[in-house]
Amino acid sequence: MSAPSATAPSALPAAPRRDSKINRDILAVMDGISPGYLLLVAICLLSVTAAGATWIYQVYEGLGIGGYTHPTFWGVYIVTFVFWVGIAHAGTLISAILYLFRAKWRNAINRSAEAMTVFAVLTAAQFLGIHVGRIWKSYFILPYPNQRGLWVNFRSPLEWDTFAITTYATISIVFFFVGLLPDLAIARDRARGLKKLIYTALALGWQGTARQWKSHSRSVLHLSGLATPLVLSVHSVVSWDFAMSIVPGWHATIFAPYFVAGAIFSGFAMVLTVMIPVRRIYGLEEYINDYHFENMARFLLLTSWIVGYAYAIEYFIAWYSGVEPEQTTFWLRAFGPYWFSTWTMISCNVIFPQLFWFRRLRTHIPTLFVVSTLINIGMWFERYVIIITSLGNEYDPAVWGIYTPTWAELTIFAGSFSFFAMLFLLFMKFFPVIAISEMKELAIHERAHGAGQGGH
Amino acid sequence: MPELVGIYTTPGPVADCARHLQARGFTELEIYAPAAFPELDDVLDPKPSRVRLWTLIGGLLGVVTGYAMTIWMSYDWPVVIGGKPFASIPTYTIIGFELTILFGGLATLFGLLVVGRLPYGRFGHEDRAYSARFSGDEFGLAVVCSERDVEEVTALLRASDAKEVNLVAP
Repeated sequence: MSAPSATAPSALPAAPRRDSKINRDILAVMDGISPGYLLLVAICLLSVTAAGATWIYQVYEGLGIGGYTHPTFWGVYIVTFVFWVGIAHAGTLISAILYLFRAKWRNAINRSAEAMTVFAVLTAAQFLGIHVGRIWKSYFILPYPNQRGLWVNFRSPLEWDTFAITTYATISIVFFFVGLLPDLAIARDRARGLKKLIYTALALGWQGTARQWKSHSRSVLHLSGLATPLVLSVHSVVSWDFAMSIVPGWHATIFAPYFVAGAIFSGFAMVLTVMIPVRRIYGLEEYINDYHFENMARFLLLTSWIVGYAYAIEYFIAWYSGVEPEQTTFWLRAFGPYWFSTWTMISCNVIFPQLFWFRRLRTHIPTLFVVSTLINIGMWFERYVIIITSLGNEYDPAVWGIYTPTWAELTIFAGSFSFFAMLFLLFMKFFPVIAISEMKELAIHERAHGAGQGGH
Repeated sequence: MPELVGIYTTPGPVADCARHLQARGFTELEIYAPAAFPELDDVLDPKPSRVRLWTLIGGLLGVVTGYAMTIWMSYDWPVVIGGKPFASIPTYTIIGFELTILFGGLATLFGLLVVGRLPYGRFGHEDRAYSARFSGDEFGLAVVCSERDVEEVTALLRASDAKEVNLVAP
């Protein structure tokens, strides 16, 4: 055999001599476990265990260990459920909607946002089980053939919610996995031992052939097309859990867009709250920079105005409708026993985000971190206001009641944050925290246009 | 049959060279890329990706399932409310919509696997032309040719800006 100008057989190295910088920087996040990291995981684990134990006690003892008093039978569990479903919206928004709009700035944050979506949906879904009285009967919500010949009632918003949340969880996981596939191959090619075996299995033999990339791009496009209406539908359906009833404060047509805007608002805030420390600790400043932060801050400002508008319209309609129970509910929201929640909500969601009118503050990391955290707090209180104040002050003043969360509810509430944080901490060590291949696409494009002008 | 692999740093020359090789009658080509580049998509297979068919069929199956299931169940166990029809189509639209997305999304995933020949086909390093460099930041153009063409193909790869040309064990 003759191979005059080609190098000898088996000259192809198994691993590159000089790996690409993007690979090295981002895969470095997955290496090594610091004591601080372990401590955080341990705290989360402890809190999740406490929540789990509380839940078992609740199953044994009954929902009475919560702060439920007539007429408020939806409490912190449902508030926290809606909160986490909301958080889950940023990932799909960033991945799907910004993908369709070709907003390249999403590349730095889409992976972690998608991961947050998956974890937030998983956290939220647990609350559907936690808040029901008889967990062992919760499968009744599924349309399965049974001896009584009964089927579920598809007219119920709770049934719609089951389908919406299940679909959302499944599609988020699919989206996450499809995006992760090329990066799993990167990890596979650089791992050793057991890790290599795991990544080899997960990467499904991805090689980055033209055929694979073509079907991959097509799939991402189609999944984005499917996920865009899905993300709008999921929180609309959650809002209809409330809006389909006749409770004053809930029965409003603005609820669907109001909830969707709020979900995107809180989701973006959570992405910032989580990514600011991650970027700092793992030195990812080169990949997530002022440009991304500024765009995210603008998004927060925009959605803050939509949410603020919805708050204003709710009050206006309550006054304009002339319906007394509606007016009373809204008056009591601001000046009744729950005034604290309402004013926390308004100041965190509408007033503080106005700081982002200033360019300097949009790129000032401590401000971004503080405001995004405040928005998270404000958005939790928004759901508290909507649910508790409306249920507590229904039509008949004789049955009004005051709801205060108990230790049990607060333990489980805290456990949900730990559960989310724990999954995210594990995610950082198992998967690339930034979509490597998408970053490379940009870098190689730049290189091609810098070097080979004649070629194009 | 020997296989030659040209290593590139940008996608443009890969596409040009692959087209050139195809014109010269070399058909057993494979392109490896570290990321998605539209200029490489249609070089080896100019037809639109068949993933779209999967999405469409999945979506249609979903919408039919959503309406059929809800309507059939309403008639199988009727809830009698006044003189109203047993099935309320407007609310069932939500189920129909959700299942369209669910089935469509899952079908897209299966489409990606089938069309992209995953996880079957050449698994990991069994593919002799594949190298971890292609999950770094380099491109590869692999050509299977007969022994007497090795020289010509090497020259073509070199002429098209390949920074290296490697011969993989035949």
